[in-house]
Amino acid sequence: MTPLRRIFAVTCALFAVALIAAGPTIAVTGQLLAYQDGFVFFTTGDGFRVAPGVLIRDAAGTGSTAIVPAPRVWARAHFDANGTVTELDLSKAPLPQEGSFADVARFAVALSSPVPNPDLLPATPAPGHTLVPTQHFSGRPVLVTFTVQVPPTTPFSASVYITTDASGWNAQAIPMDRIDTLHYQITRRLNSGTIFRYLYDRGSFQSQEIAENGLQRTPRQIVVTDADVRTIRDTVYAWLDSRSNASGQQPNGLPTPYNPNPFPNLPSGFPSPGIPTPRPPHPPA
Amino acid sequence: MTSVTIECRDRVRNGPAGCGRHQRGFVAGGPTLAGISPIGYLSPRPKPGWLTSSDSLGYIVRRLSLCAALVPLAFAIACACARANTIVRLSADHLAFYYDTYQVEADGHVRVQTSDGFSVTGDAFSMDLKLNRFLVAGHVTLETHGQRAAGAALSDFLDFNRIYFVPVTSEPDRWTFLNGDLAHPVKGRIMPGDTFNFPELPKTPSVTASEAVIGTRSYARFSGAWAYVGGVGLPLGSYVVNFSPNQYFAQNSLTGANFDATWNFAGNNNSLSAIHLRYDTFNHTYLAFEQHFVGDHEYAIFSANPLTKSDRFFNLVLYEKLGQRFQIQTFTQYNVNQGVLFQAPPLSVTQTTYVNMTQAFPHSYLQLNSNFTNYNLLGPGSFNNNNPAGNLSHPSQIQLTATSFQNRIGKLPLYEQIYGGYGFNHDSVGAQQYATPIPPSESGLQSFGGNCIYKKGTAPVPCPTLYTTIWNEVAGFNLFMPSVKIGNHDNPYETYYFNAVLNKQRQWNSLPHRIDNTNTTFSLSRQFSRPVNAYLSYQIQNTVDRYLQGGYQPCNPVNPNGTSNQFCPPGLTGFRGASTLRTLSLGTTYAPNPEFNLSLVARQHTDFPAPFQNVFPLPLTNVIGQPLYNNYLGQPPYDLTGDVRFKLLPHMLLDVQRTYYFNYGNIQWSPNFIVQVLPQ
Repeated sequence: MTPLRRIFAVTCALFAVALIAAGPTIAVTGQLLAYQDGFVFFTTGDGFRVAPGVLIRDAAGTGSTAIVPAPRVWARAHFDANGTVTELDLSKAPLPQEGSFADVARFAVALSSPVPNPDLLPATPAPGHTLVPTQHFSGRPVLVTFTVQVPPTTPFSASVYITTDASGWNAQAIPMDRIDTLHYQITRRLNSGTIFRYLYDRGSFQSQEIAENGLQRTPRQIVVTDADVRTIRDTVYAWLDSRSNASGQQPNGLPTPYNPNPFPNLPSGFPSPGIPTPRPPHPPA
Repeated sequence: MTSVTIECRDRVRNGPAGCGRHQRGFVAGGPTLAGISPIGYLSPRPKPGWLTSSDSLGYIVRRLSLCAALVPLAFAIACACARANTIVRLSADHLAFYYDTYQVEADGHVRVQTSDGFSVTGDAFSMDLKLNRFLVAGHVTLETHGQRAAGAALSDFLDFNRIYFVPVTSEPDRWTFLNGDLAHPVKGRIMPGDTFNFPELPKTPSVTASEAVIGTRSYARFSGAWAYVGGVGLPLGSYVVNFSPNQYFAQNSLTGANFDATWNFAGNNNSLSAIHLRYDTFNHTYLAFEQHFVGDHEYAIFSANPLTKSDRFFNLVLYEKLGQRFQIQTFTQYNVNQGVLFQAPPLSVTQTTYVNMTQAFPHSYLQLNSNFTNYNLLGPGSFNNNNPAGNLSHPSQIQLTATSFQNRIGKLPLYEQIYGGYGFNHDSVGAQQYATPIPPSESGLQSFGGNCIYKKGTAPVPCPTLYTTIWNEVAGFNLFMPSVKIGNHDNPYETYYFNAVLNKQRQWNSLPHRIDNTNTTFSLSRQFSRPVNAYLSYQIQNTVDRYLQGGYQPCNPVNPNGTSNQFCPPGLTGFRGASTLRTLSLGTTYAPNPEFNLSLVARQHTDFPAPFQNVFPLPLTNVIGQPLYNNYLGQPPYDLTGDVRFKLLPHMLLDVQRTYYFNYGNIQWSPNFIVQVLPQ
């Protein structure tokens, strides 16, 4: 091989190595957590070094932008081969996903080496106990159907509601529909992972459900798991205002004390109960 | 580092440390946080003396009176303080609350101060009130008791005793503070994946404000608040969002209303003050006020409603649970007619008090219910009606009832429940509101009896016995069959469900009569598809009021003067104190999605006594317009009720209902639409 050829081959090899070493720039999109002290932080918690002359552009491709790198701003970050961010394309709206932070994790700057987090490790079951699998929630909407069996003394024309902490315990938050003599039903859309506390009532807290032992009960609670649909079946044993033969407290007007007359809607001119008038004896002849 | 123990009064942690941040502290000479020297630990500031020797006696008396008046309040506060949560004070250039997701978001010059001595500044703040964690991002500084650290972001998982921090010294790092120990950060520990995530937010906030005070797991109080309804902003000044899991906050002492817009203008862990803008068909538009004091096992609720009308109801509800098996609840109401501007003297004042006590047993419970009413607290002659004496009636009632649990009968699909009780009613003064005709000058609960003075050759002289006290004994049972499947059990849309209920009650009274109530209901239901279900029901209600002597007299269709008695149509002449109401119902519901619901109920009433047009009075209705009675004499033979419910706004349902009477007594439709706005 002639020297000239050798020089040419070495030059080509060096050029090829340089090209390989330079590699293509990597770009990832994500939401900014902070931009300060020469670093850009994404909501993954990773901080990346920013090149001194970093380009700040509009992610829509219109060139310069008035958007300032700040928390909540979406950005497409371009990394050079050294893992330095050389360009940030910014947007107020979420950007389509590009790249993966797993690909640039090696560029994240951190003084300390990663240490496993015991909080995130599966729990070790105690001797004699089986491990309960950890539940994960996607947060997607789940159709949850509540069906409740009401007490047999519930008036047939009664309205039944669900009151929940999600609506500030409004007594008429979720009206239910009667489906037969003893059952009411309603379907709601709840996100999985929701902890739903609730009670049943008949439109007010004077007609709230009480526990089987007659005391006020603590709220029911469900955790909405990931599923297409979910059915909840509950039983109400008694209502607060349905004490047998006793006046319920109703803050809606003057009280109606106990009235022995069981026909309150009789016409007002109807004679009240009494002893029949004895017939006068025949006058003496 | 020398450990310092401080009284645990603040954030409740669920970790082994238990007490949370108040257990952490720094003393001079210990390790430092981010290289900055610490300066001592949190100590409570001494409070100035409440009373001094310079106070006058009158002043002291006034203060003691105030103290006595505030005892219930102090009691409630004391209860709540025992479980007080962390208080987070937040200010920023822009602050918003999103009701959909219970998120508080803030941007620009964010400043956060926590009740356990932290001060955090940054560019952005995000807090999930339900998950109980907050994030501060961008140029974050963390200060506590003279120590200062700077970083890019901080995320505090309040429930887990974990603070995740991204410090920036020479280079970024990752620190985790465990159990509030800021002196010993765990460096490099891997953090949960969503530690620093910002949530996706709706376009329009529910509330904007300049400052906020957040009681974790309980409330958020906004200052300089604007609320947005349908995109329209309303200046509120102060606004409180209560999301406490304590359901006692929702106990209320207000009547129902067609519309109720609530402005919670003050509140904290254990109290909530609200002004209500309301509308109902009786009072129309008005304001009401309601105050809650809430503890773990007790509550006190006061309301004035309607506040802007001359006829007001002042209600007070008290509840206390003593131990695991006993509770007591009282309800007191003052009805004052005093003019819109409270001009003196009041025209009428009425008071009623209910006291209810419940003792639970393993398979039953005992209830004592009592009621005491004063119809006129102003004395004779002060009542603004035609009767100068006014209504001086003050009836009282006590009822003791024992109720069993519901028990299944063998392996049958049948359940039973029994109950029984004893009680009395008493009223020694007026009786105008009881069975007529009792002259107002008479006293007693009910007149009963006939002619006791009889002289030959003269007309009988009535002298009915007046009962001032009527004792009663009650016994009853419920027998019911919740659901029996009929048809194709494998396909839920081809399965019929059969239900049956029987209620039977007998009441014996010391005034010699007894009242029997028998209620029998059958229903057959089916779900035809996911959104459509229907039921067919038949109900028989028997009521018999049987007197040992005499009792209900037949009414005379002809008055003594020969005119017809309008209150005694031919069908009523056979009534002797026994009624039978039969109701056939067909109901169907169409609910294609959770945001829309349509239901129709058609009913046929076959009653004895039969209804007669314009003879039976229309049933009383509540302020919303719904009948107070479930079933009553004189119901139109046919009715069809439609109810449509749909989402008006993201957190607001509108419910509209009306009944058609098929031209009974020239009545086609129920008097009013029943319209309710239901906040979600």
